Amino acid sequence: MKNLLYKEWKLAIHPTGYIFLLFGVMLLIPNYPYFVAFFYQTLAIFFTFMNGNTTNDIFFTALLPVRKRDVVKARLGAVIGLEVLQMLIAVPFAILRSQIIPTENLAGLDASLALFGLVFIMFGVFNVVFLPQFYRTGYKTGTPYLLATLVMTLVIVAAELVIQLTPALKQALDTPACTLPQIIVLFAGLLIFALLNLVAYRRSASAFERLDL
Amino acid sequence: MDALSVSHLEKTYPAFHLRDVSFSVQPGRIMGFIGRNGAGKTTTMKSILNLVHPNAGSIQFFGLDMPAHEFEIKQRIACIFGAANYYSQSLLQTIADVYRRFYPNWDDALYRTYLQHFALDPGKRLKQLSQGMSIKFALTLALSHHAELLILDEPTSGLDPVSRDELLHIFEDIVDHEGASIFFSTHITSDLDKNADDILYIKDGQIIACEEKDAFVASYRKVDGLTADLPADLKTRIIGFHERKGEFSGLVRVTDARGVSGLNFTPADLESIMVCTERG
Repeated sequence: MKNLLYKEWKLAIHPTGYIFLLFGVMLLIPNYPYFVAFFYQTLAIFFTFMNGNTTNDIFFTALLPVRKRDVVKARLGAVIGLEVLQMLIAVPFAILRSQIIPTENLAGLDASLALFGLVFIMFGVFNVVFLPQFYRTGYKTGTPYLLATLVMTLVIVAAELVIQLTPALKQALDTPACTLPQIIVLFAGLLIFALLNLVAYRRSASAFERLDL
Repeated sequence: MDALSVSHLEKTYPAFHLRDVSFSVQPGRIMGFIGRNGAGKTTTMKSILNLVHPNAGSIQFFGLDMPAHEFEIKQRIACIFGAANYYSQSLLQTIADVYRRFYPNWDDALYRTYLQHFALDPGKRLKQLSQGMSIKFALTLALSHHAELLILDEPTSGLDPVSRDELLHIFEDIVDHEGASIFFSTHITSDLDKNADDILYIKDGQIIACEEKDAFVASYRKVDGLTADLPADLKTRIIGFHERKGEFSGLVRVTDARGVSGLNFTPADLESIMVCTERG
């Protein structure tokens, strides 16, 4: 498993996966839908899978002494790694924003713990749709990506709308202040992220094991 | 114990059916796998490696069941499907650095020997290599972990005659000095004429010959002559009968050639056997 993860970092991850990690800096834009800063990482993940078709990644990996389930596990591990790193790198910028730009974000949720909780859910939804769809064929990336981003966008827009249109929620969550409801959303997001990734792994591994390469 | 033993392998696709494929590769021997394009060679190889799921049949490597012992089996074998057409933007040394981690028996000194032997520069990117050189790199990786069985799909296609000859000698060295076995498919039957011990011949998804190469080749004769001199009963038994301007050519079994005079019988080779058999 450690070797497979090493292979992911050295050979498989598309360079945009690393470049887009820096997009957390977008949290310094005073008025901006901050989910977009994290959305870019899903694009980089898509590029990694698409690039895998060009580099024959799956075939190279399947010929190694590895279990097919571990191939999926390593790829999901790399995806989760990129997503979590994207969020960790964004944290200092969120703190900096609250220090240097005291005004409210007029384009959506503030850079808060609740935002990070919802981004966890956003990434979880992306993973649970995209990966199992991809591993059904082992090469089709376009349709799975469109489907995953569509579901992910619907979930995020719905969450944003509910928060913005419900005064109590807006007051509790749409603020950079570190409050209990924000902490609850953060940990709920983390839990949902973990559960969705577990489902993503099980469904992807099962699809990949059935697949004829 | 056989290096590889395949029994009653079946794989069905909508437009293709691999039927009752059975054969074994013995230790220390080179088995050539021949058949025209689409006959089922790659499907057979993918099935035995668990890359595609057979509908029926059993596969054993070194007495171990596949896929139950897939992990252990794959550490003891090496596989190449054509050239190294993966991670074209990566350096050879980066790919090797990743690859070697999966094999406990990786031999770095042997790896460097093959790099030198094939004149491969580890600082180059894979995309900078010609087709022939990328095959050599794939072989370098495959040969550097003391595999007990090499499964190679078209390893010599795209190589110049000198490199092919070099490679065939390396195959012989591996078999003779390391006691490994080689199972390789090729369209270049002259390569098998040179160094295969056994022949496996597949046609339309079915094995039509699995035997020791010299005996297989010796069981046929090429025949040609004037059509007027050809006895009617022999004509029906000629394999791949071809006639032009009153002359004919084809292939016969040695048993059918006995007692026939007035025709020109010459020793057959794998290419003539395959061409005539496919011609029907």
